[in-house]
Amino acid sequence: MSEIKLIITGPPGAGKTTAIAAISETAPVKTDTHTTDDLAAVKEQTTVAMDFGELTLDDGQKVFLYGTPGQRRFEFMWKILVEGGLGLIILVDCSRPDPLADLHMYLDNFADFIRQTSVVVGLTRTDHPDAPAVAEFYSSIESSGRVLPILEVDIREREDVALLINALVSTLEFSR
Amino acid sequence: MSQYKFSERSEAFCQDLFQNMFDTSDAIYGILISTVDGHDVSKSFSRDMPAAKLSAMMSAILALGETIAVEAEQQQCRYVIVENSDGYILTLKIKDKLILSVIATTQANLGMLHSVSRNAAEKLAAQLR
Ligand SMILES: Nc1nc2c(ncn2[C@@H]2O[C@H](COP(=O)(O)OP(=O)(O)OP(=O)(O)O)[C@@H](O)[C@H]2O)c(=O)[nH]1
Ligand SMILES: [Mg+2]
Repeated sequence: MSEIKLIITGPPGAGKTTAIAAISETAPVKTDTHTTDDLAAVKEQTTVAMDFGELTLDDGQKVFLYGTPGQRRFEFMWKILVEGGLGLIILVDCSRPDPLADLHMYLDNFADFIRQTSVVVGLTRTDHPDAPAVAEFYSSIESSGRVLPILEVDIREREDVALLINALVSTLEFSR
Repeated sequence: MSQYKFSERSEAFCQDLFQNMFDTSDAIYGILISTVDGHDVSKSFSRDMPAAKLSAMMSAILALGETIAVEAEQQQCRYVIVENSDGYILTLKIKDKLILSVIATTQANLGMLHSVSRNAAEKLAAQLR
């Protein structure tokens, strides 16, 4: 296996586009447009189709990273983008009103994909005063019968994005 | 939810313009204005179609068209056209935050659809803030 496709999803503002820009070895492909709704208070731009970036792991493995739009009305893109994918990174923004519910929303919506692949969860903005503790995420996932790696990350940092990707790739190797 | 919305005057302007477009070509059966981030703002459909879903999809395809143009080192994406066995769907930017989509049967000539859509987009750009 010389090339693998990984998908990054999660709510608007979690940092999918930022993550791919931080780690891609080539100029990332972006499809961000002006936000014209409530999200404009948080962010000037939002992804409407996809993000794309490429990187090479230490062992020479080529990784293609696809970022989804976060907003629900772009759900149709989620189905298109997971095609042929081998793993999923779910970013959860801990400064949003209900990060646990956000996580479950993406776990549910990507359930078919997740059944065939691996998932890691990246928690962003964990320094927010109302951010749930990591333990809460673990127990909330466990109660729905799952065990997933959860990492706290600063998605703007290349090394932190690499951490998520390595965690995901190693679960892929483990499950093969 | 605060969403992009036309004033009554702008909406009336759009509906007049849509009517003109229908009058110009029988083949046109759907005209939709949406925001670049995929919300529907104004429309006139003579067949039933899901405006909200189409708006999200049109914004995605237009953004992809613009990105593909850049990657292929071509200048300024003017339209994205989806050509089907029984119809055309043509999408273009009105101005920085709005896009226009025109849906027609294959009875329309594509050149004519281009000009009708381009003219409409220009009128809309001049009228809308
Ligand atoms: N202050 C702060 N900002 C952060 C942190 N993590 C991410 N950001 C910022 O949050 C924003 C994330 O925006 P995007 O990368 O566009 O988010 P997205 O997930 O692609 O969002 P959509 O495309 O709208 O779904 C960027 O401006 C980041 O710089 C953090 O830990 N602290
Ligand atoms: Mg994005």
